[in-house]
Amino acid sequence: MKRAMMINPKDNTATALEDIEVGDTVSLTSKSGQVVSEITARQAVPFGHKLASANISKGDKVLKYGEVFGLATQSINKGDYVHVHNVESALPPPPKEVK
Amino acid sequence: MEFLGYERPNGSVGVRNHVAVISSGRCANEMTVTIADMVKGAVPVLHTHPCVRLKDDNDRALRVLAGIGSNPNVAATIVVGIGCENPSPAKIGEEIVKSKKSVEVLSIMGSNGFQDVLDRGLATARSMVSAASQMQRKPFALSYLTLGVKCGGSSAVSGIAGNSVTGRVFDRLITEGGTAIFSETTEVIGADHLLVKRAINEEVARQFRKAVERMEARIKATGEDIRGTQPTRGNIAEGLTTIEEKSLGALAKTGTSPLQGVLEYAERPLGKGLFFMDGSAMTSELISGEAAAGVHIHIYNVGGGISSSFRCPPGWIGEIPILPQISVVSKQSKPRDSQEKEFFDIYADTVIEGKESVEQVADRLFEEIIAVASGKLTKREMHSGYREPIVMYTTGPIL
Repeated sequence: MKRAMMINPKDNTATALEDIEVGDTVSLTSKSGQVVSEITARQAVPFGHKLASANISKGDKVLKYGEVFGLATQSINKGDYVHVHNVESALPPPPKEVK
Repeated sequence: MEFLGYERPNGSVGVRNHVAVISSGRCANEMTVTIADMVKGAVPVLHTHPCVRLKDDNDRALRVLAGIGSNPNVAATIVVGIGCENPSPAKIGEEIVKSKKSVEVLSIMGSNGFQDVLDRGLATARSMVSAASQMQRKPFALSYLTLGVKCGGSSAVSGIAGNSVTGRVFDRLITEGGTAIFSETTEVIGADHLLVKRAINEEVARQFRKAVERMEARIKATGEDIRGTQPTRGNIAEGLTTIEEKSLGALAKTGTSPLQGVLEYAERPLGKGLFFMDGSAMTSELISGEAAAGVHIHIYNVGGGISSSFRCPPGWIGEIPILPQISVVSKQSKPRDSQEKEFFDIYADTVIEGKESVEQVADRLFEEIIAVASGKLTKREMHSGYREPIVMYTTGPIL
């Protein structure tokens, strides 16, 4: 059994508290240390990185700490590795004219 | 809940009882350190602020030096100067007098020279230390306390361990009527919209936005855009996906209390609650600004990696004058039974290991804060006496 933390109940991602391998059963714990649910990892997730704790559609908000930290650039399944390959910043890009 | 502190004439309460010997300019550092080193209980405050600075930076230097002299952790102050500095020793002294504590200004200009000033400085320092040594700690409500925070050597788990723990402690102190200050303007970029929502009114929200925009404009003036540089490659390798995620992790240390006000660097808050102070993310600059703003205890959150192998977390090596620092670590790079256990006051890595909840570690940190406020020495305070000059936030060129 591997562990990941879902910091806020609203989150759709959890942070791996140890290295997770494909097919591992992962227990998701709250900030208070309670086990919230169990999911199966569909991909490997290194320590400190994130996996999806729910299905996320392309264009949906991706949450950690109960807040949006980006938008899904493709559909993400529960148990998938979540990082720069499938999430991008929701902030406007920096202006180009800066030199 | 209460702590044992030293009552000051202006109604504030200190957690330490230092006699500060403050250099008004780098040319006076040698005189300052000579006086402080010859009197047990006197602490030198050295810096490298030169004459060749513009008004904004000179004003900040005045706020920092006068603010440190006025900090409640200081029982009495001696300001030592050549006499020709900017800020002048006399001006620094005038500002510290407003805190109603004992201040003596010594200037080489108008004296009979180095030896004359040294003799008078030593006599004054001894008399101040003697008076301070007779003061007694008394119980005070936690509402008298002000905490400051910095996170450094951040790792992917800083946000969920050390920073979340500190956020909870901030919330708890503010519930008790106390005050907490956070800074690092560059670190809130990307999560600034959340702090705007937490501002108590539109004016505070406006001031906050202004501080962030001003910092971004300063960075852009150099030809770079911070939004294009974050998160760094190292951050991405650690698991941070976007600038928002990085800033949200940094923001976790502020807790959930409403934002009461926005302070200029080294400015003292006028009310209680949570305050944001404009400034850089450079540890040494931030700590000087906090000390000047009246912070009693500094909390340093170390993420992990190489930073957790340092005896003094990086950014300010050696003694921190007048402020005790409680060091919190989120992930150690080596086993706990190694020498590292000598470096940190609070181990928050139990959150990562699943052995303790964030709340349980926050309870331990809160107890430690009360103990340190009542006189318990921190690991950092028991380190060697190695010292470096303090560093101040500057924005202008050196002329």
